[in-house]
Amino acid sequence: MAVIDQSAGAQSRLKNWRWGVLDVIVIVFALIPVLWIASLSFKTPATITDGNFIPREWTLENYRNIFNTDQFVRALINSIGIGLISTIVAVVLGTMAAYAIARLDFPGKGLLIGISLLIAMFPQVSLVSPLFEIERSIGLFDTWPGLILPYITFGLPLAIYTLSAFFRQIPWDLEKAAKMDGATQGEAFRRVIAPLAMPGIFTTAILVFIFCWNDFLFAISLTSTERSRTVPAALSFFQGASQFEDPTGAICAAAAVITIPIILFVLFFQRRIVSGLTSGAVKG
Amino acid sequence: MTAETAEKPTTHRVRPERKARARLSEGKKAERKLGWLLCAPAAIVMLAVTAYPILYSVWLSFQRFDLKFPDQREFIGLGNYITVLSNQYWWTAFGVTALITVVTVAVELVLGMALAWIMFRTLVARGLVRTAALIPYGIVTVVAAFSWKYAWTPDTGYLAKLFTDGAPLTERASSLAIIMLAEIWKTTPFMALLLMAGLALVPDDLLKAASMDGASGWQRFTKVMLPVMKPAILVALLFRTLDAFRVFDNIYVLTAGANNTSSVSMLAYNNLIRGLNLGIGSTMSVLIFIAVAIIAFVFVKLFGTAAPGSSDEGRR
Amino acid sequence: MAERSRGPGRRRRRGVAALAAFTLLAPGVAACGGADDGGVPVINVYYAPEENFQKVVDDCNQQAQGKYRIAYQVLPRGADEQRVQMVRRLAAEDDGMDVLGLDVTWTAEFASAKWIREWTGAQRDEASKGTLQQPLESASYEGKLYAAPKNTNTQLLWYRSDLVPNPPKTWDEMIQMSQDLKSQGKPYEIDTMGAQYEGLVVLYNNMVASDGGKILSDDGNKVEFDDGAVKALGTLQKFASAGVTNPSFTNTQEDAARLQFQGGSGAFQLNYPFVWPALQEGAPDLKDKVKWARYPGIDANTPSKVTVGGYNLAVSKYTKHPDESFAAALCLRSPEHQLFSAINDGVPPTIESVYSDPQMDKAYPFKADILAQVKDGANRPITPAYQNVSTVLSATLSPPADIRPDQDAKDLRGSIQDALESKGVLP
Repeated sequence: MAVIDQSAGAQSRLKNWRWGVLDVIVIVFALIPVLWIASLSFKTPATITDGNFIPREWTLENYRNIFNTDQFVRALINSIGIGLISTIVAVVLGTMAAYAIARLDFPGKGLLIGISLLIAMFPQVSLVSPLFEIERSIGLFDTWPGLILPYITFGLPLAIYTLSAFFRQIPWDLEKAAKMDGATQGEAFRRVIAPLAMPGIFTTAILVFIFCWNDFLFAISLTSTERSRTVPAALSFFQGASQFEDPTGAICAAAAVITIPIILFVLFFQRRIVSGLTSGAVKG
Repeated sequence: MTAETAEKPTTHRVRPERKARARLSEGKKAERKLGWLLCAPAAIVMLAVTAYPILYSVWLSFQRFDLKFPDQREFIGLGNYITVLSNQYWWTAFGVTALITVVTVAVELVLGMALAWIMFRTLVARGLVRTAALIPYGIVTVVAAFSWKYAWTPDTGYLAKLFTDGAPLTERASSLAIIMLAEIWKTTPFMALLLMAGLALVPDDLLKAASMDGASGWQRFTKVMLPVMKPAILVALLFRTLDAFRVFDNIYVLTAGANNTSSVSMLAYNNLIRGLNLGIGSTMSVLIFIAVAIIAFVFVKLFGTAAPGSSDEGRR
Repeated sequence: MAERSRGPGRRRRRGVAALAAFTLLAPGVAACGGADDGGVPVINVYYAPEENFQKVVDDCNQQAQGKYRIAYQVLPRGADEQRVQMVRRLAAEDDGMDVLGLDVTWTAEFASAKWIREWTGAQRDEASKGTLQQPLESASYEGKLYAAPKNTNTQLLWYRSDLVPNPPKTWDEMIQMSQDLKSQGKPYEIDTMGAQYEGLVVLYNNMVASDGGKILSDDGNKVEFDDGAVKALGTLQKFASAGVTNPSFTNTQEDAARLQFQGGSGAFQLNYPFVWPALQEGAPDLKDKVKWARYPGIDANTPSKVTVGGYNLAVSKYTKHPDESFAAALCLRSPEHQLFSAINDGVPPTIESVYSDPQMDKAYPFKADILAQVKDGANRPITPAYQNVSTVLSATLSPPADIRPDQDAKDLRGSIQDALESKGVLP
C-alpha cells in the first residue's frame, strides 16, 4: 500500500499541477476584463482615464455615490426580485413542458417546439412597442409583473430546449427498475430521476437568471419609475457631472456590485452540476 | 420546422404498445391529455405575451408607416422588402453580421468545449473555476462594452498600448476583431455551461469501458462523449447563433457602426428607433428573423434526431 | 461649481421626490396617470437628467402656490433613449405626460406629428420675450412657436495659451499652427468629435454655416446642398487628413475629446463649455494655461457661425392640464431659474438679459463669447425628418478623411432627399 501511495501521490500531484495551470488560464481569461471594470470603479475622476490597469489613486467615492441614493438600492431589489421570480416560474413551466416533450407522445408537440423557437428568434427590438401598448392598456406598465411576464416568455424557449435536451438523455428505465425494487412512484422519482435531472435544471436556472439580470431593452422600455426599474436600466439614469460627461466610475462601481449576486447565485448552483450518471447511480 | 418531424408516424418507437395505432388506447389518451396539460401553461404565457406583437410587426412590414408622418400610412405589399433587399447598407451589414456570427460561434464552440471540460473535470478549486468562468456572462453587456472601449482607446486603456501604437477602434479590421473578442469573452461561458451540463450526462462507466477497450483520449471524445452530448451541443449552438446574429450592444458602444461595422440589428434600430420608420424597421426584423430561422433549420437538420421533440428519441 | 459630483450621488432628494410623487399618485391609477393630488393638478415634466433641476422644480412648486404641482420625471441620459420613450408614449396618446424636454433638433418632428401644442397669446409672448433669436427659431416650425427654449449650448475653441499665443480665426490657420507645433515636437492635436454620430454632423454644420452654405432649403422640405456645403466637405476632409487629430478622432465623442485634451496631447479643443469646470477638477496643471476663443471660421474676415444646441420645453397634446402645463414650463425656464441652472448645472441661458447678471461672471467667465456665438449661431436644418438627415449625413461623413467632396455631394443630394421623404433605408 505504502509503495503504491508514493508513486500515485506523485502522479496525482502532477495531475493537480496540470489542472492548476489550466485553472489559472481560465481564471485569467475570464477575470482580467472584470478586474479592469473594478479598477475603473476605484479610480478617482482625475485618474480614471490614465490607462493604468492598477489605479494610482484609490477611492471609494463611486461606491459611496451609488449607495447614497435609494435609486440604486431600489433597482437592486427590483432586479433580484424580478430575476428570481421569473427564473423560478420559467424553470417550473419549462420543466413541465420539457418533460412532456421528452417523454410523452401527443399531437401539437412539434408546434410547441417550433413556436418557442420562433419566439426566441424574433428580434425583440420590434416587439417592444406593441408590448408597451398592451401593458399600458391593462395597467401592467411599470410594475413587476410587467417585466416578469416578458422575462418568463423569453426565458421559456431556452428553458424548454435545454431541459428537453437533458431529459431525453436520462435513462428513464431506471425509474421502472427502482419501482420493481419496491420503491413507490414518488420515491423512484425523487431518488433516481431527480438527481439525474438536476444538472439540466440548475444549468437552465443559471442561464435564465442571467438573461433576466442583464436585460436592458425591456427594462428600459417597460418601466418608468424606480418602482420597477432594474439595475441595467437604472445605469442609464446615472448622471455625469454634465450632459456630456459619462459617469463611468459610478457605472463601473454599479456593475461590480451587481456581479456579486451573480457570483453567489452561480456558487450556489454550480455544485449541483455534477456527473449524475455514475455507475453507482445505475447499480443502486 | 420541427413540426413535420414530430408528426411523422412513430414507426420505430421503442415501446411496443405504440405500434398499435389503429385505435387510441386509454393509456394513449391519458398520455395526450397529460402532455397537453403540462405544456399548456408555457404555451399560454408565450402566446399571450408575444402573439400580438409578432403578428403586428409582420403586418407593419407590409406597410409604409413612418410614425412622424402618420397620414402617409398605406399598405404597400412587399415594397419594404424590395427596398431593404436592394439596399447596399443592408447587405454590408448582413455581411458583417454573418462574419461575426460564424467566427464567434465557431471559436466559442471550441473554447466552450475546452472550458466545459476544465470546469467539469478539474481536481483543483472547482467551485472557484466554475464561478470565475461564468462571471463574464453575468456582466451587463453595455458596461463590459464600455470597459473594452476604454481599454482599447490609446491614452485611456491598457490594451491599446500593448498591441499597437494606433487607435484600433478606428479601423475596420481591428474594430471587427475587437467586437468579436468582446462577444467571445462575454458569451463563451454560456456555451461552456450548457456543454458542461451535457458532459455531466456522459456515464462514467461508458468512458471507463471505452478506455479499457484501448480507446485513445480523442476516440473517447468523438465516439463516446460527442454522441451523448449532441442534444446539448445543438441547444448551445442554436441559441448562441440566434443571439450572435442579433449582435447589437457591443457594436453600438464600441464603434457605433463607424467604418462599416454596422450589424443588421443596428440598422433595424436606426430605422425603427431613430428613424421611427415602423415599416422599414419591422421589415428588417422579419428579415433577421427569416435569416435566423434558416440557420436554425440547418442546425436542426444537421443534428437530425438529436433535436428536441424529434420522434426517434431515447436512443443512445 | 465646487459642488459638482459624479454619479448619481446627489440625487437622493430627487429619488425621494419621485417616490413621493408616485405614492401620491398611486391609488389605482397607472403610474402614468395625471391624477390629482387633492384637487391640485400634477404636472409631469419629462426631462433629461440634470443635477440641480429638482431644485428648480421645487422652487416653481412654491411659486405656484397650489395652482399645480410639478413632478420631475427623469429621462435616461442617452438622447435616443429620451426621444424614444416620449415618442412611444405620445404615439399611444398617453395623457400622463404634460411637459416634455426636447432637444432642439426634435422640436420640428414633434410639432409636425402634432404631438405638442402651439404656443399662442400671452404665453407665446412670455416665452419669446428677450429670448435669443437662434434658440427661438429652433423652437418654431412653419412660422409657429411650439416650445419655450430652456437652455442653449455652443462649442468654443479652447487652446493652450502657453503654446499658442494668439488663437486662430480660421480652420486653415488652426491646422497650420497645429502642424507647426507638431514639427517642433510640442503638443499639437486639435481634439474634437469625429465619431459616426450627431457630433460629426455638428462639426460639419459649423463648417457649412460659416461658409454661408446650405444643406436644406429654407422651408426644410427640399435638399439644397449648395457650393458652400460641398466646400465644407473639402474642409472637413482636409482637417481630418492633415495629421493634426487625435488617433482616436473617428471614434471620439464629447467626453472623449475632453479627456484627450486634458491628457495633454492637444493644443486645441473644440467642445462645449462643460470642459471648463471639468478641467479645473481633472487637470489642475493645465487650468491656468487654457484659454478660450470664438470657434474658428472659414474666412478670416467673416465671423464663424456655429451650431446651436440645447433643450426646449414643449407641452404635450394629450395633457389634461394645458394651462397649468404652459405655466409650469414658463416657470421652469424663467430668467431666475435659467440663471440658477447656468451657475449650478453649467447650461447656457436662452434669455439675453441673464448673461449680464454679475453672478454669471464667476461660473461663466466665457459668457461673452457664448452670447456672441449664440447670437450669430446656426441652427441645424429644421425639418421633421432631422434624425433621418442626421443619420444619413453622419454615415456618409464617416470617416472624414475618406470624404470625396464631389462624389459624396452627389450621393448626399439623393440620400438626403430620400431621408426627408422617409424613403429607403437609413444606414
